[in-house]
Amino acid sequence: MVQGSFVTELRARESPLARTRALSRFASCCRCSPCSVAGRQFLENNCLNVFLIMRRSKNCSLFSLLRTSLKELVYESEAKRGLWLSASSLVHEDLHLHPRIPSDLLINTRSFSIPVKRFDCASNYGGPGHHDFTEFRVLNRFLCSSEAGSGELPKCWNCGGDAVSPGPFLACGLCGSVQPVDQSIDFFQIFGLERTYEIKDGNLEGKYKDWQKKLHPDLVHSKSEKEKMFAAEQSARVIDAYRTLSKPLLRAIYLLKLEDVHVDEEKTITDPDLLAEMMDIREAVEEANDSHALNQIQTQVEEKFEKWSRFFEQVFKMHDFDNAITATERMRYYDRALEEITKKL
Amino acid sequence: MLRAAGRRFLRLGSEHRAPTVAVAARGYHERVVDHYDNPRNVGSFDKNDPSVGTGLVGAPACGDVMKLQIKVDDATGKIVDACFKTFGCGSAIASSSVATEWVKGKHMEEVLSIKNTEIAKHLSLPPVKLHCSMLAEDAIKAAVKDYEAKKAKLAAGNAETTQTVKVATA
Repeated sequence: MVQGSFVTELRARESPLARTRALSRFASCCRCSPCSVAGRQFLENNCLNVFLIMRRSKNCSLFSLLRTSLKELVYESEAKRGLWLSASSLVHEDLHLHPRIPSDLLINTRSFSIPVKRFDCASNYGGPGHHDFTEFRVLNRFLCSSEAGSGELPKCWNCGGDAVSPGPFLACGLCGSVQPVDQSIDFFQIFGLERTYEIKDGNLEGKYKDWQKKLHPDLVHSKSEKEKMFAAEQSARVIDAYRTLSKPLLRAIYLLKLEDVHVDEEKTITDPDLLAEMMDIREAVEEANDSHALNQIQTQVEEKFEKWSRFFEQVFKMHDFDNAITATERMRYYDRALEEITKKL
Repeated sequence: MLRAAGRRFLRLGSEHRAPTVAVAARGYHERVVDHYDNPRNVGSFDKNDPSVGTGLVGAPACGDVMKLQIKVDDATGKIVDACFKTFGCGSAIASSSVATEWVKGKHMEEVLSIKNTEIAKHLSLPPVKLHCSMLAEDAIKAAVKDYEAKKAKLAAGNAETTQTVKVATA
């Protein structure tokens, strides 16, 4: 199926009936597994157009068909959610006016917590096209709920059960099916930890093993292709989370990322003190020939790393992000030096 | 599982039949390897020497440090010698080595026009290592800037001393 031609086809058709037919062909194509990946890619690249067309077609069943395909896309692609929300506003009017869409559709806003927050900030700037918060919530309901349900909890795609357990919804508690990756669940939530730098008694390893007992791809050998894919992605995410959280430097960088702080990695550092210090340390490491000397240097560098690690904790709590970035840069340099020492030992 | 292991073994066998192609596609370019195995211009000049400019730069993303020093002939403004010391990946080392080779014998203004893209092209650096060549370019600029700053400070110092001498004699 040539993806590009689909959009042109959709745009070209003037009569609502023809458009509806084209849309339903497209929607069913997206749901069938061999081309579901391509279909999803197409959806991602053209979701705005699809949305506009959805809006023009008043066919309710088509709405639901497309909505289910799009729901999966939304679960996977955090980057597109912003686009969703802005496109959603276009559909909003029609939604309320359409007689056949049930008015008691309720929400699942959990996966939308981040964009809704962003939208909240954006809406304070006003300007044309910004609807107020409640209208957006209604739209989100339309987008994410599967049926008229009463809870705010996500539902299992397999058994339809609610997410009952207190932890993040990575696998269904009732039927054990692995759920699709929800990008809004951050690494800290996966391990049930507060979003702080200091993690005491996190028992990361134990929780990591517990999750893998439920999510590992080896356990879904006999299940559907869809679930195998979910398992591969979810367990990869948990591995990522474990790795990021267990190393202080990676944890610090991840925390900054969660706070939307952008670090310009391309910029070269010219701070003479730091660089001179690093030069000395690296030279010392090169020249040191016995393990005793290396261990000495190692202890010194580890101390420096600790100092800056504590500094990061302080400034991060106070939301002083510039200093936090400086701290992470320093920590990275010391970490690199420690790596070299370990290699030599 | 045995079948999968057997398949993997066979795949390995086929790779062995065409080893050069696989290695060339994924390994470092031969120029980079050459610079790594036969490093040229590694060393240090005296930082306090007035004819020496030192450029010290670092990359935050990978924790690399690069020091590039130039020895300038005060009379002509030409760079007579250069040396470097880099702690980082092979691409960073090669980039700084190439930089020292290229600045030798050139004018200070001329070397400021050396672009990182030229270095990257010379070494066939992959996109992920482009920042190493950027680092080398920044190191050259920093070294020149350091030399100019030293010269300016010296000139200011000289002006002061001649003024005090004038005052004393007056």
